[in-house]
Amino acid sequence: MTDQTTSLAAVTTPDVENSVSQRILSGAWSSAEFRIGFFVFVFMVLIALFYPLFSSIDPIAMDVRARMTPPLFLGEGWSWRHPLGTDQLGRDMLMRCLVGLRYSLLIGLATVLLMLAVGCMVGLFAGYRGGLTDTVLMRITDAQLSIPMIILAIAILGVARPTIPAIILVLGLSGWPVYARVMRSVILAERNKEYVRGATVLGASDLRIMFLLLLPICLPPIVFVAVLDVARMMIFEAVLGFLGLGVQPPTPTFGNIIADGRKYLVNAWWIATMPGIFLLVTLLSLNLMGAALERARNRIYGGLE
Amino acid sequence: MFLLGFLTRRLAQGAVIVLLVTFLIFTLLRVIPGDPVRLMVGGMAPDTLVEQIAEEMGLRDPIPVQFARYMSGVVQGDLGQSFVRPASGAAVGGAAFDDATRGERAQVLTLIAETAPYTIQLALLAMALALLVAVPIGVFAGLSPGRWPDRVALYLGSVFVSVPNFWLGIVLALVFSVQLGWLPAIGYENFAYTILPAIVLAVEIAPFIIRTLSVSVAQVMRESYIGAAAVRGLGQTRIIMAHALKNASVPLLNLLGVQFSLLLGGVLVVEFIFDYPGLGLLTINAVLQRDFPLIQGIAIVTSVAFVMINIFVDLLATMIDPRLEY
Amino acid sequence: MTETPLLDVRGLTVEAGRAEAAPRILDDVSFSLQAKRILGVIGPGGSGKTTLAHALVNWLRPPLEVTSGEIRFRGEDILAMPSDRSARLRGKTIAYVGGDPQGAMNPTMHVGEQIVEKLRAVEPGVSYKEARERAVALLGAVRIPSPEQRFGEYPFQYSGGMMQRAMIVDALIANPELLIADSITQPLDVTVGAQILKLMRELSERFDTAILFISASLPTVADVADEILVLEGGRVAEFAAVDDVISRPRHAATRKLIDELPKLWHRDGMTTAAATDKAQTVLSVQNVSRVYPIKSKSGLGKPKLLQAVRDVSFDIHAGENFGVVGESGCGKSTLMRLLTALEKPDTGHIVFDGEDIFGRGRAGTRRFRREVQLVLQDPFGSLPPQSSIGEIISEPLVIHNEGDRRQRRTRALDMMGEVGLDRSLYESLPTRLTAGQRQRVNVARAMILEPRLMIMDETLSALDQTEQSRLIDLFERLQAQHGFTYLFISHDIALVRRVCARIAVMYLGEVVELAANERLFFNPGHPYSKALLSAAPTLEDRRYRPEDCLLEGEPPSPIDLPPGCAFASRCPSAFDRCRKINPQPVYRGDHDRAACHLLQPEPVAS
Repeated sequence: MTDQTTSLAAVTTPDVENSVSQRILSGAWSSAEFRIGFFVFVFMVLIALFYPLFSSIDPIAMDVRARMTPPLFLGEGWSWRHPLGTDQLGRDMLMRCLVGLRYSLLIGLATVLLMLAVGCMVGLFAGYRGGLTDTVLMRITDAQLSIPMIILAIAILGVARPTIPAIILVLGLSGWPVYARVMRSVILAERNKEYVRGATVLGASDLRIMFLLLLPICLPPIVFVAVLDVARMMIFEAVLGFLGLGVQPPTPTFGNIIADGRKYLVNAWWIATMPGIFLLVTLLSLNLMGAALERARNRIYGGLE
Repeated sequence: MFLLGFLTRRLAQGAVIVLLVTFLIFTLLRVIPGDPVRLMVGGMAPDTLVEQIAEEMGLRDPIPVQFARYMSGVVQGDLGQSFVRPASGAAVGGAAFDDATRGERAQVLTLIAETAPYTIQLALLAMALALLVAVPIGVFAGLSPGRWPDRVALYLGSVFVSVPNFWLGIVLALVFSVQLGWLPAIGYENFAYTILPAIVLAVEIAPFIIRTLSVSVAQVMRESYIGAAAVRGLGQTRIIMAHALKNASVPLLNLLGVQFSLLLGGVLVVEFIFDYPGLGLLTINAVLQRDFPLIQGIAIVTSVAFVMINIFVDLLATMIDPRLEY
Repeated sequence: MTETPLLDVRGLTVEAGRAEAAPRILDDVSFSLQAKRILGVIGPGGSGKTTLAHALVNWLRPPLEVTSGEIRFRGEDILAMPSDRSARLRGKTIAYVGGDPQGAMNPTMHVGEQIVEKLRAVEPGVSYKEARERAVALLGAVRIPSPEQRFGEYPFQYSGGMMQRAMIVDALIANPELLIADSITQPLDVTVGAQILKLMRELSERFDTAILFISASLPTVADVADEILVLEGGRVAEFAAVDDVISRPRHAATRKLIDELPKLWHRDGMTTAAATDKAQTVLSVQNVSRVYPIKSKSGLGKPKLLQAVRDVSFDIHAGENFGVVGESGCGKSTLMRLLTALEKPDTGHIVFDGEDIFGRGRAGTRRFRREVQLVLQDPFGSLPPQSSIGEIISEPLVIHNEGDRRQRRTRALDMMGEVGLDRSLYESLPTRLTAGQRQRVNVARAMILEPRLMIMDETLSALDQTEQSRLIDLFERLQAQHGFTYLFISHDIALVRRVCARIAVMYLGEVVELAANERLFFNPGHPYSKALLSAAPTLEDRRYRPEDCLLEGEPPSPIDLPPGCAFASRCPSAFDRCRKINPQPVYRGDHDRAACHLLQPEPVAS
């Protein structure tokens, strides 16, 4: 019997042994946009992490003599010391953008993690338990979904004092419903597969099936696409800062730099536009990665690979 | 018969959702720190006066009592009065703590009704612009997955979704209004003031439409009945126009329902940047002034709008795809 | 043979891509088909049957493409024609019906409208009114009841058999000269498939259409066709008249196809494990029913009731092979869920080893789940995709807290040896395995707890004949070693004939007949059993002819069951009482029984 089975094994191709997540990752990696996004993003993160450590420039130190220095090669009086110019108080734009990027990334990542954790748990329980649990959880989700997230966020942050944990909590707690819905629909589909039924018949407990069997299979594809939401949350953080409801000055964030720079739009256009471009490039790199991952996922789930 | 049952069920569900939303916002506003009365009467007012006014307004009653009182007004169509806005227009200054004439304060419902048309005009124009750009791109991308229209859609979508809306607003205002002088940017006097904000909003919405359409069109094109249709003798144009696009539009409809909040969030920011006198600007000012009744009123109105739009969208989807009815 | 054949295929070669090493799907295929004749194409899976059908209707998708050869239609090469001319042949002169009727039409458009749309696309001169009349008339001709009303329904409102009829209408409405029928009965139940085949034969005579009939089932092809083309590995193995192919197969591939066919009507060579007379009852199903409320989406009105399992009773004895057989919708799957305690019955009891399986709460259910194991149907969906084979097989031990890590590993490896899996596969993921190997993993996992009863739910359905035989041998060996009792749930008459000692036949939620293997096949008590047997494809001399055993029509919906016997609407011998009163089981001997008004009780033998 063994010679027969080895011959059967030889028929199958060995390279399909990878798990779904590996296939999604390698599928995304093979596309140009993912690699462009990846390298740009890594570059941005590295300079955001290390440039402020090795530079002597203080992002909140004012230098009135060097105020409104234009960026390199643009306008009169530019200097190598301030590659992106300075603002109305003579603070270095590059350093302020990098510090802003740090906060933006921190808040974006932490928020998405929170959203994922809450949303996926709710979706997992609603989808697996079904019945009353499902109805109650999903009605709450719908209710939450029907309040525009940003109204909720500014309502809370406008009334309470916006600190970093508060911002993460508010954004995270208002963004989870989408994940709850996605997770629920994935679980609903997966729950009826035969291997789940098989595990039940073997005597596996519900918790065992939910956390050891279903979660490892259903979570990774959702996490990949959550990259897109990191970008979205970074925009939200900037919006909050712009409205004065984000991390408070003097800590620089993209939002409050642009809000400040708006007043000097005519004299010093770069104060408002440079951080925007900086943010745009970072977000673009994230979104390219996210879009490539999403496509790879759709291809694999669509049965094209 | 189906329609009646559907509407009854969905409206009942919607009522529950709106009630939940109202309760959530109501409680949050009262639990988080920051006393609106202090803001109303000004920092100079003595604590006793603050307490007195708060008592008068019923703000020291238990939350369920306050909520019940508020809801009994809401079901009669009374969303209460603004804390800070007089009926005449401009916001009441914070220092006027001897103010006893609360009757002059503006009705929340009136404030919302006055500003909503501007926002609806803005949202409709933005949606039209977004569809105009995104539908052709999304459809072509979906029809040729992996080839250049698909690439264009991917990159364009990624760029659009990466642009922070408030920043784009500032840049567009700088270029088209300040430097070129083609379009007005700040405030509202006539229709032209809607164009720039609508463009910003359209850029924000378009990538979602592109993405959804390209995925759903590509998916429908892989369905076996599309391949079979050619073998049955139907022409390619007819297959795409009559069969593929019709079925691919259902996910787009659902997107429009779910992403309603995205649209509203965008409206908020865009109106703030362009000082556009719509609901969004009203909301931001209400929040900044801690105008609780107004915030609550806006939350109720938006969640009602959300529920209605979703019912409408689902009804439309059922008409396109009758399987959803069963 | 002086006239030009209608279809003349010469040296047709299809490759997956243009590369040097590109796999050849079809290799130098040549044959011809005269007008008004039926040519059957047969071959095992992967022999290129469907690719041939697709090549003929110009439906090859990249990377597949025709690299050489000619497809001459009325003497003219289709492949060399300008594309607009060959496009005009599609649907008009050459029609196609596939094996996926439910997926063949746009789900959001009325069936009738799509038939009209097609007719007017290939015959532009036809008015809407005329097209509609023709469509309704033809829908009636293929015996779709109330065709006027059915015209305006959506594909999802049609059953599989109805939809296949509609697709045949769609193909034939423009009076094509050639119809390519690719696996058209494959997704259908045997009794429905038999009706469709009958219809095909009638229609081809009426419309004078030549048919290229493709199927994986040799008996089906032999039934329908005038000549047979046997494909193997993309090459023509044999091309001859039906009788020659069946009685004098010249090619090894043909002989293999014939030899592999399970024998239904041979009285010897059956290896069914029967219980000894004194064997105890392992599992006793007592008057079990399960009803599902179906909510209407509008949420108004009373929910309708779907009666999935109705008053089912039977006993399974230790050491025997018991079979439950029936077509889709007969309640097999619900019964499986009840027997494995995944769901509770609404009424009745399931008694295992003298104890109600729901009687002692969670602990009782858990103990029950040690003793009864399930091997599922789908070899691809039944294994968790991201666990290694070793983990999968030893998981039951983890769940039931048995042994330490090393002991579990040893036992899992032992099991792998027993079911014939190479031990080196211990660390691999199931994605690497073939369907047969996956089912062995499933069997090993079920066995590792040494259960007393193994439930095989369509376990062998997804496997080819060769692999089926191997697994049946394996089951027998394991039974001899471990003393398992098997319950086979299947739609496959030939399988239960081969392995089961006693068989329960289910129809619309009821056990209509319960009988020993021999009795069921040679002296069935219920007309439905007879109909099922008659429809089973076989090359042997049929004991029962489908024409005599089955009326036109489809099973009634389990949601609105008629008051009398559920089979009355399709039963040739039904009379008034059948439509009013549901017959009670009539005992024939000690154990065997059937529920039919025509039966007289037989005296108990002992």
